[in-house]
Amino acid sequence: MDIEANNYKKTRWMILNRVLLVPFVAVMLVFGTLVYHFAANLETQVSEKLTYIADGHRRLIEQFLHEKSFELRYIAAANSFDEISRPGRLENIFGQLQQQSAAFIDLGVFDDAGNHIAYAGPYDLEGKRYAQAEWFQQVQRKKIYISDVFLGYRNIPHFVVAVARDEGEGTWYLRATIDTQFFEELVESIRVGKTGEAYLINRDGLFQTRRRSGGDLMETDPDSAAYQTKENSIASFKADDHAGARHLYATCRLGLTGWLLVVRQEIGDAYMPLTRAVLMAVALIVAGGAVVVVMGFLLASWFAHHLTVAQMEKRQMGSQLIMAGKLAEIGEMSAGLAHEINNPLQVMKSEEALADDILAEIKAKGSCNDLENIRLLKESIGRIGYQIDRCKRITMGLLKFARESETATQDIEIQSFISEVVAMVERRAWVENIKIIENIDEHLPRFRSDPAQLQQVLLNLLNNAIDAIDSASGGEIRITVAGNGNEILISLADNGSGIEPEHLEKIFVPFFTTKPVGRGTGLGLSTCYGIVDSLGGSIEVCSELGAGTVFTVHLPTTGPSASFQHAAVAMNKKGGAL
Amino acid sequence: MSTINLLFVDDEEQFLKTTKMLLDRHGMNAVICTNGFDALSILDERRIDVVVLDIKMPGIDGIDVLSSIKRKHPEVEVILLTGHASVETAVEGMKLGAFDYLTKPANVPEIIAKVEKAFEKKRSTEERVRREKVERIIGHPMAIYERDEK
Repeated sequence: MDIEANNYKKTRWMILNRVLLVPFVAVMLVFGTLVYHFAANLETQVSEKLTYIADGHRRLIEQFLHEKSFELRYIAAANSFDEISRPGRLENIFGQLQQQSAAFIDLGVFDDAGNHIAYAGPYDLEGKRYAQAEWFQQVQRKKIYISDVFLGYRNIPHFVVAVARDEGEGTWYLRATIDTQFFEELVESIRVGKTGEAYLINRDGLFQTRRRSGGDLMETDPDSAAYQTKENSIASFKADDHAGARHLYATCRLGLTGWLLVVRQEIGDAYMPLTRAVLMAVALIVAGGAVVVVMGFLLASWFAHHLTVAQMEKRQMGSQLIMAGKLAEIGEMSAGLAHEINNPLQVMKSEEALADDILAEIKAKGSCNDLENIRLLKESIGRIGYQIDRCKRITMGLLKFARESETATQDIEIQSFISEVVAMVERRAWVENIKIIENIDEHLPRFRSDPAQLQQVLLNLLNNAIDAIDSASGGEIRITVAGNGNEILISLADNGSGIEPEHLEKIFVPFFTTKPVGRGTGLGLSTCYGIVDSLGGSIEVCSELGAGTVFTVHLPTTGPSASFQHAAVAMNKKGGAL
Repeated sequence: MSTINLLFVDDEEQFLKTTKMLLDRHGMNAVICTNGFDALSILDERRIDVVVLDIKMPGIDGIDVLSSIKRKHPEVEVILLTGHASVETAVEGMKLGAFDYLTKPANVPEIIAKVEKAFEKKRSTEERVRREKVERIIGHPMAIYERDEK
């Protein structure tokens, strides 16, 4: 049973390997290729999208700034310094501006020296001096200026747009503060995935708009060192931020202010579709794989089970055939035995008749002193005794055969073993005019095997050889035993009729026989084959028509291996039960 | 009753010796031999009335010996001796012209009785043949008459 269980496991594992390994490799290859192509495609798409957004956004912001500075220039051009500094006038203009858009938070007019002449807005800034202010110096130089974000007198981060107006000899200035919140909403109004964001930093790396993911106005952008820039065009790149999160970036400079517009998105977010697709594929593969594994396992178990059963049936059939062969052998043996015993019985019958005859004569003479007849009678009784001994030898041989069929593997001394077997067929061979020649290597060591089984094999082969020889012309059977490494080679060569070439490959097939019906069962050689196989050896045949046949039995000197022994013992047990 | 000339053929030598002793005591003239070749040459050399022949013998088989005897010496009666296993062969022998068969182990008185019967048959056959010969030579008046009638 252990062998079967082991075989079953091995077969199942083998099938499982073949069934699962090949599809697994194929699926992984397809999956890998798909993911690679999808990823490459997606990366290009995502960065192109980000670049596109950045470009559009820059235009929007620049347009806004242009628009605001144009509005200021228009107001400055439309009013003289006197008009605009008149009380109420500036508030009036501011009110009109506010009606158009809420982009401006206040409006102020400054003279040449930087004094705040008029103001419209929520802060109290009138009369303050701005001669030293950065924006004032810049607007004096550039005539139109958009500042970075600064605190100023109001001490709140903001930025301003200022324009200069030359009027006669002097110059006056109009300044407007851009509503930070309004501007920030404009800049931030980008939605890309979950983490997509846009913000502005100035040339010093200070935030000009709030960053949604962290970073307040005028703070230093901790990531600015990693930004790549290209003059007049959009740079697209990947970089880690200060927290180590990898981002996809698109950056570009605004012409008017030199601010850097940064549009960025976390890689994980950007590649979300890819991750989702991969996850889905993995899930599908895992689920499909599980189904395949389960199916494969069931299938392999089913196959292995059937194969093992078939194997077991085959083995069982083999041992059944051996049993059938053994039974047939017993039949043949009984016939032989009857013949062997009949001969001494016949002698005894004739001795009995002789003794009767002598006794009758003695009685007729009426004398007990008939010395001659008494001598004859004694001799006759002696001969009967001899014949009885002969019968005893035959029955002893039979008993020995029966006893040995119960024993399993043991050490065998080949010379005496062969002699014993030959003795069993000697008389038959003599009757058939056949000489048996033993040619045994004297230096062969003892070897392990099952003597009873082996005896049956050799008897079978010997009987076949005797059958093959025509008794009229006679012949010889040569038994050769030799060693070859770990093998014992026993060969039986006869010079009989030989085997037809077309029969040669069938002779070990059960029930194949060339003998007339009733003479041979066709089980002898298949039984031999089965037994030799169970002893861990092999049997081969070589024959030439008209010249004779050689059967060679190869046997391991160490005896049958454990599994073979197991089978042989099982066979013996079955034999015993029968 | 004249002496029976008997040839006993069997491969079992002791059986032959004892049986010869018995047959001699019964007043038969028994010759023994252990194989078919010897049996055939003995038949060529001397007058034999009955042969007791074992079927299973080394060299030449009893059946072959029987057909040789029937070919060369058709007047000789043959009794076959056989084992139980080869009764079919014995029947085949009967078809070939054997007088009778005995299965081994056979009772010697039985053998003797069969031999005597066979001898009787042989003698009567010989008697008939002889009478026919004589009748053919001297002629039978009635036979001539019957022939004329026809």
